[in-house]
Amino acid sequence: MRAEEIEEQASLWLAREDRGLTPDGQDALEKWLAASSRHRVAYLRLKAAWQRADRLAALKRAPMRAAPAPPGLWSRLRIPALAAAALVLLFAGKTYLESGRQPELVYATGLGQTQAYQLADGTRMELNTGTRVRTEIGGGRRIVTLESGEAYFEVVHDASHPFVVQAGKRRITDLGTKFSVFLNGDNVRVLVREGRVRVESLPGAAGAAPIVVEAGNEAITQGLGALVFPKPDSEIARDLSWRNGMLVFDQLPLTEVAEEFNRYNAKHIQVEGNARKIRIGGSFKADNVSVFLLLLQQGFGLSVKDQGDRIVVSR
Amino acid sequence: MGVRSIDEWFMREVLPLEPMLTRFLQRNRCSAAEIADLSQETYVRIYETAHRERPVLVKPFLFQIARNLMIDRLRKQSVVSLETVADFDWINIPDDKPSSETQTAARQELRLLQAALDDLPPRCRQIVMMRRVEGLSQKEVAQRLGITVETVETQIAKGMRLLAQAIGGRRAAVTTEARRHNFLKRPRNAR
Repeated sequence: MRAEEIEEQASLWLAREDRGLTPDGQDALEKWLAASSRHRVAYLRLKAAWQRADRLAALKRAPMRAAPAPPGLWSRLRIPALAAAALVLLFAGKTYLESGRQPELVYATGLGQTQAYQLADGTRMELNTGTRVRTEIGGGRRIVTLESGEAYFEVVHDASHPFVVQAGKRRITDLGTKFSVFLNGDNVRVLVREGRVRVESLPGAAGAAPIVVEAGNEAITQGLGALVFPKPDSEIARDLSWRNGMLVFDQLPLTEVAEEFNRYNAKHIQVEGNARKIRIGGSFKADNVSVFLLLLQQGFGLSVKDQGDRIVVSR
Repeated sequence: MGVRSIDEWFMREVLPLEPMLTRFLQRNRCSAAEIADLSQETYVRIYETAHRERPVLVKPFLFQIARNLMIDRLRKQSVVSLETVADFDWINIPDDKPSSETQTAARQELRLLQAALDDLPPRCRQIVMMRRVEGLSQKEVAQRLGITVETVETQIAKGMRLLAQAIGGRRAAVTTEARRHNFLKRPRNAR
């Protein structure tokens, strides 16, 4: 028999084994292997190749992806970010404010990526998926411009040098706090976890009166309008769950859940028909859409169709 | 030596030499099918020898066997052109220095695997990805795609063969440049 035919048989055995063999199947495989060294070497060769493909999983888990809820900030910081931060701190130290104007730095995350940084003034900044910020820290200024996406800040407070985030037409000034800013079109959401921030229009822009948002509140601004409403700790934790690479939902319509996932993944989920109104809760890894889709299929009996460029979910 | 430990030795010491063996056979004008046959025969002899005694120097032993097998094959051919014999790469056994292709630096290995994966037919690639990269079971893959588990199994078997071919350097030299291009072009987070 030709080598290629034996190879094919060996591959079918391995695929069957990969699916799960019954005890009888296991016996049959052992018999097939024992029948000839040809069988065995072909089997081992394919097995070795298949095992090496395991490393592809490592590729997927490589640091580009959102990390699954590690315990602390430091483990979440990327080494380069850490090294860069350490360097900046080493040279700038506490003199960052007195030194001349620092060059603008740009930080960005790709689709599905989250990343934590320590800025030169010691402020912790965490970026959610598809986010881009510019920072100017030094020369007495601490200005971060959120150009797109969502960022969370734990600011080292310094009343004489306020920490300012600019997003869309708004300016958010730290008054000692931990907060996140999400720029979604021309709508800016500011979620305050600790302390308080001042939200106002950018100088020059048609202005609404400044508002102060206290811890445990969320401000949503659109055009000139701004709405502030209280948020229980549990909801704040949920909204910030992206920092751990998780998406947490509480009885949200399926369309909104799909939109959240679509922020992280190139292949978008599209919900059609009355499946849109189904409300779901739960927590998912942001980069693992397949588990979510599997649950929709098995748990809700929905149809999930992969159409190449998108995934269509319907009843 | 037990079968298991021979198997492990074989996978660890012998199989990684396959790209080198492939190049050796290609230089000697073996066709794809001949390469498959000669490699397999070489493996069988090494594997059976290892039951009696494990060769200490694996590589010279492997190429000695491969060369002998090629000579046998030539003898069986009724007509051997002088040209074939003259062209025969008798002496030139790949040296000990790993070429850039066989260096097992983790990154290169990943790139090789990625390229091998990229070269799979689209359907096969999708199924292998779901199984191997996303870690879904064959049953889950079948449910996700709305196909039978048998189909998934067949595609996995095919994927295994093609991946092994690519890793062993046996696939026709598909434009490496184009592959690199595709690899770089792919958004790093795209699934």
